[in-house]
Amino acid sequence: MAAPRYRTPPSELVRLGERLLPRLPGDALAEVRQRAWRRFLAAGIPTPRVEDWKYSRIDALMAQPFAAPTATAPAAGTVRRAMAGGPAARRLVFANGRLVAGQSHVGGLPDGMRVMGLAEAIQHRPQEVAAAFEALPAPGPFSDLNTALAADGAWIELNPGVRPEVSLQLVFVAVGEPSAVITHPRVVVRLGAGARLHLLESHVAEGEGHVLTNLVAQLQLAEEAALVHERLQAAEGGHALVGRTVVELSAGARLLANVATLGGAFVRNELEVHLRGEGGEALMNGLYLPRGREQVDTLVRVHHHAGRCHSDQFYKGVVDEQARAAFAGRITVHEGAQDTDAYQQNRNLLLSDEAEVDAKPELEIFADEVRCSHGATVGGLEEAGLFYLRTRGLGRAQAEALLTYAFAGEVVARFRDGKLARQVRQGILARVPGGAALDPEGLVA
Amino acid sequence: MSTAVETVKQITEREYQWGFVTPVEEETVPPGLDEEVIRLISRKKGEPEWLTEWRLEAFRRWKTMEEPRWARVHYPPIDYQAISYFAAPKQKERPKSLDEIDPEIRRTYEKLGIPIREQEILAGVAVDYVFDSVSVATTFKKKLEELGIIFCSISEAVRDHPELVRKYLGSVVPPGDNFFAALNSAVFSDGSFVYVPPGVRCPMELSTYFRINAAGTGQFERTLIIADRGSYVSYLEGCTAPMRDENQLHAAVVELIALDEAEIKYSTVQNWYPGDREGKGGIYNFVTKRGLCKGYRSKISWTQVETGSAITWKYPSCILQGDESVGEFYSVALTNNFQQADTGTKMVHIGRRTRSRIVSKGIAAGRSQNTYRGLVRILRGAEGARNHTQCDSLLIGDRCGAHTVPYIEVKNRSARVEHEATTSKLSEEQLFYCRARGLPLEDAVALVVNGFCREVMEELPMEFAVEARKLLGISLEGSVG
Repeated sequence: MAAPRYRTPPSELVRLGERLLPRLPGDALAEVRQRAWRRFLAAGIPTPRVEDWKYSRIDALMAQPFAAPTATAPAAGTVRRAMAGGPAARRLVFANGRLVAGQSHVGGLPDGMRVMGLAEAIQHRPQEVAAAFEALPAPGPFSDLNTALAADGAWIELNPGVRPEVSLQLVFVAVGEPSAVITHPRVVVRLGAGARLHLLESHVAEGEGHVLTNLVAQLQLAEEAALVHERLQAAEGGHALVGRTVVELSAGARLLANVATLGGAFVRNELEVHLRGEGGEALMNGLYLPRGREQVDTLVRVHHHAGRCHSDQFYKGVVDEQARAAFAGRITVHEGAQDTDAYQQNRNLLLSDEAEVDAKPELEIFADEVRCSHGATVGGLEEAGLFYLRTRGLGRAQAEALLTYAFAGEVVARFRDGKLARQVRQGILARVPGGAALDPEGLVA
Repeated sequence: MSTAVETVKQITEREYQWGFVTPVEEETVPPGLDEEVIRLISRKKGEPEWLTEWRLEAFRRWKTMEEPRWARVHYPPIDYQAISYFAAPKQKERPKSLDEIDPEIRRTYEKLGIPIREQEILAGVAVDYVFDSVSVATTFKKKLEELGIIFCSISEAVRDHPELVRKYLGSVVPPGDNFFAALNSAVFSDGSFVYVPPGVRCPMELSTYFRINAAGTGQFERTLIIADRGSYVSYLEGCTAPMRDENQLHAAVVELIALDEAEIKYSTVQNWYPGDREGKGGIYNFVTKRGLCKGYRSKISWTQVETGSAITWKYPSCILQGDESVGEFYSVALTNNFQQADTGTKMVHIGRRTRSRIVSKGIAAGRSQNTYRGLVRILRGAEGARNHTQCDSLLIGDRCGAHTVPYIEVKNRSARVEHEATTSKLSEEQLFYCRARGLPLEDAVALVVNGFCREVMEELPMEFAVEARKLLGISLEGSVG
């Protein structure tokens, strides 16, 4: 008989949820949370038989005996090392999903820009938060779990035309605790017409442990709004992240979404982009470098609902040791979305015979006035490139390191924030075999 | 160019050209499926005990299986108990020569444009005619026999070469492989069998014309081709079905085995009844085709032109087991009106330095849905494996859909896998250019589409290529303007 597609959620997880649910603040949200919780219980945990989880192995991850996080502030050094966005950047710092007010700084924002922790938003505007939770399209088990149990996160609103000069950074610190913990931060961003925001998101770790961050971000862009969203994941030391980002773009809105995954036992980046108005643009770039036994999943869904939009996905991976990387990208051009330009590229470098890359680049097209293409490659380093470098006197190891670094560097070049890009480069050098030797004086740092 | 002009002439009166029913006396088993029916089929065909048991085992497996639902095709549930699982033209004895064949059947083939004699003499094609599941005549048998090539119906092969059939039947597509393969294994009626002995290069294209004729019958063909060491064979399969209102199920299984340094080229032109303009009727084509490159440097090449059927669910695949073996897949899938096609290939690289190449051209018109679904899997031991995949889709009209769903799984770092795909609209500029030179719109479309498919068409044997080009033009009739 056919194996089940979903597994019953582990009892520890269910007990933890049942215990937390009644204690969460915000009566207005209670019903939304209850519904999501029931959906989660009914659906269960996806197995590889669910198409979107085909290449994911999450049984061991979900079977951990999770406890509720006991919020602790990270060391000042941890936050300082993660800082990006320039000296004036505003910042919200989270420790295991909980806002750490003492290390956050969101004062002096321009008029018409509101940034607060989600717990505060729930307190002051519960109806709006409930409506936002409810508006999340096509929730899956992890999104439902987040909706049911999200206690904190970020609530960011910009009035029409507001264009702050400073960047806003969200720093999520996974603080190792004696037992495994699961947290459900929620980020809601709403940009009014013509507003602009540069949002940075850093995931770092402090100490070994098993923190599973189940993040949901909802980003809403009104007409002509522009958002740069840059995410760096470098939470090494056994931690995991399941992140789902849903972006809604109205006419003429623009999105630049960059992501670099440089650490995490299991990282899943889901990005769902809905181009709902004419003339929208979504540029997405991603880089992942798993090693050891790390697993990185990238799932990108771009929906062209309206015509005259442009989307471009550019994802690269370097996979080493026993690591696994999966890329599933899909462009959907819905009926009537004429005059669409949509592109997708996925390139992977396999550095080890024990590693695995799975790619599934999809096109789904229901309109005819389109220019769509995708390309995917998987392979080792080019012998011709290595030969060229070796004729110029580089040793084989050095040549390999340089080519690998250059391969990854192509994505970094598309990052906007200089500091974040530097952090990504450092992460690459630390991960590429022989990378440290490429920059002995720490010039990149 | 003459092709395009001919197309115009043919288009004038076109609905489904081959929608005629040949009133031949048929011997049909009542609808329904149970172990008794399977025993009856097996008995009617005079099969040995082991094969009856093999069928029954497949049937028991099938009963525990679920119909696949992952393809992008939609159809009402199939009542497997309402299908008749055996239909054979009634004949007392096997014909000794072509003259003995029922004139009605002869006329059917003539309408299809394959006069037996003409093909015999002009094209030198040996055709194993399959008429509703039972092979009625085999030509050129003698010439092939001299070379030691066995080309006969699978029923004859079971009788005359049981050791070969027993060794290879189900070795590439096991009875429990999937729902439709299991069903086929239980009830397969007939099909073709080819064995090419070591070192022999088959001097002619072997060909089978499949034709579904009787109403309410499913067609369950089984084809088995074995190319022994260093041999070569090219096999053509053409399919048409008469026009009928209800949907007819076709669940065939094709197994190819290539031993050391052998090569099999398998070409299909599938033009089964696609249903009418409202999407009524048509064939459900749920087929399992798989080739095993078992030997060192063996090669299997699939070429398909799919223009017919209401629903196509078909993934001709290659298991590249032998070191340095090669798999190829060239495909044109054209859908119009309410047709649905979910087709592609699987290339599984097991051996070292194995290579595969995929060229897929999908054309969607009307309200049809056209999906390419493919898998390229490089296993750990496939040192130095190579794959290149090119998938292009062409959209004609704004109510159809073209989709690409490739899976790429790589576990060896010395492998190199490349995939590229594009989707675009039928070029207005190219159409305008053709029309400015006096071509009617329909011809211009046929010409541009044929150009789009050129890479695949070039892989077809000549006599097939001509037919395939015509088919593309015909199938697109009424899609533009």
